Amino acid sequence: MRKFILALTSLMFSMSIFAHGPTPQKVQESITVNIAPAKAWSVVKNFTDFNKIMKTRSFDDEIMKIKYEMLKKDGPFSDYNAYIIVKKGANDNESVIQWTARFYRTYKLNPPIPEGQDDATAVAAVKKIVEPGLASLKKALQSK
Amino acid sequence: MINRNKKIIVVLLISLSLSLIYYYSNYYKTHPKAYITNQGDNTVSVVDLVDLEVIKTIKVGIAPLGITILNKKNLGFIGNVGTDDVSVIDTRTDQIIKTIKLNTAPLSITSSPDESKVYVTDWFKNNILVISVKEMKVIDSFKVGATPSGVVFNKKYKYLIVTNRDSNTVEVYNKKNKLITKLPTGKHPFGVHTKGQYAYTANVYDDSITIINLEDWTTKVIKVGAHPYNVLTHQNLGFVTNTVDDSLSVIDLKIGKEIKQIYTGETPENLDVHRKLNLLVVTNWGSDSISVFSLKNLKLIKEIKTGAQSRSFGEFILQ
Repeated sequence: MRKFILALTSLMFSMSIFAHGPTPQKVQESITVNIAPAKAWSVVKNFTDFNKIMKTRSFDDEIMKIKYEMLKKDGPFSDYNAYIIVKKGANDNESVIQWTARFYRTYKLNPPIPEGQDDATAVAAVKKIVEPGLASLKKALQSK
Repeated sequence: MINRNKKIIVVLLISLSLSLIYYYSNYYKTHPKAYITNQGDNTVSVVDLVDLEVIKTIKVGIAPLGITILNKKNLGFIGNVGTDDVSVIDTRTDQIIKTIKLNTAPLSITSSPDESKVYVTDWFKNNILVISVKEMKVIDSFKVGATPSGVVFNKKYKYLIVTNRDSNTVEVYNKKNKLITKLPTGKHPFGVHTKGQYAYTANVYDDSITIINLEDWTTKVIKVGAHPYNVLTHQNLGFVTNTVDDSLSVIDLKIGKEIKQIYTGETPENLDVHRKLNLLVVTNWGSDSISVFSLKNLKLIKEIKTGAQSRSFGEFILQ
């Protein structure tokens, strides 16, 4: 119950943050897999599924980081830029794969912000890309 | 005996308070600080630039972004876009001493050179609000072009310079708040900087900066890295934060070209220098940190963790 109230309060709190302002939004999620970083990176780098939704911008083998952008402008979010980075996990055979997305809500005019065009809606829409995206990446990694 | 003990206690208390006053006055004199607005967790991280560590975290309004430090008056003005107000910090104690209600989202903040006025861009209603530092309240406002983003004050000509993000222009106002000229920039000008005879805008969608000559109104465009947010000059060099490249473009201002890029943290947004210490500080929105570089050799000295989504749009270093 206490946890629930805590979650509810933090949700209400974050809603009030999202209610205003020309503020870039961040969605950051990660997964941990039992694969060495170098091997995980070779899978991440060549994972073409993401190109159905985002355009690869560049990648860096040294820091194991790949950058994406999204040019579409019809959704609740715009100016989308993201990167996926592979880091070493707790041991040599574990990797943490982190996806960070930065974007703004599309609606940038004066408040009041129309329903379904606020920051919270934009964040939810990006989470719908990031969460299943990481899940399918995890599947691909574990089948290696 | 009792009286003697009392005397000793009084003497001890006096010397203790004197040494505390001495310690604190010296501490603040010798320790320059950077004030980092963390838009993701509604705080300001105070970073000691000698010890290179966060010494305090101050709770401010919601979604703090813009900032300006008044060095002579020991004040910091922080704009909170979520609560439509400005938090004023006393930089000697790092406490909030006043919250000024605006009823609109403050984006960028700057001050007049004499530190008597603070100017705030009102993103939604296209105004510049003028705050009296003495009265700590809004005393004036005037209309500017659409989506005013960055604002700076040019000391040489006493101009107020504003970027209009969505109309790809920069506006120049005189000290009577009258528009003198409006010039085209690259696409989506956000941050603006000025020194001497020039002003500089960072053009987010064009991967460029525009240099404006305030004497003859000629402009020049220089290509930089991807999605630049802000620009700053120091001596003969210009520095530009390339948010998508996680880098700084270094520009040789004499030849008017980018000479190299140096890596920062993730999504670098804003930058400022400490002149005496020869430091360049960059806020990294993506990695919730700042990168501190030496201006002598442009090498990274230290990356310091701050609060979430560090931005500090404006002049954020106490000299």
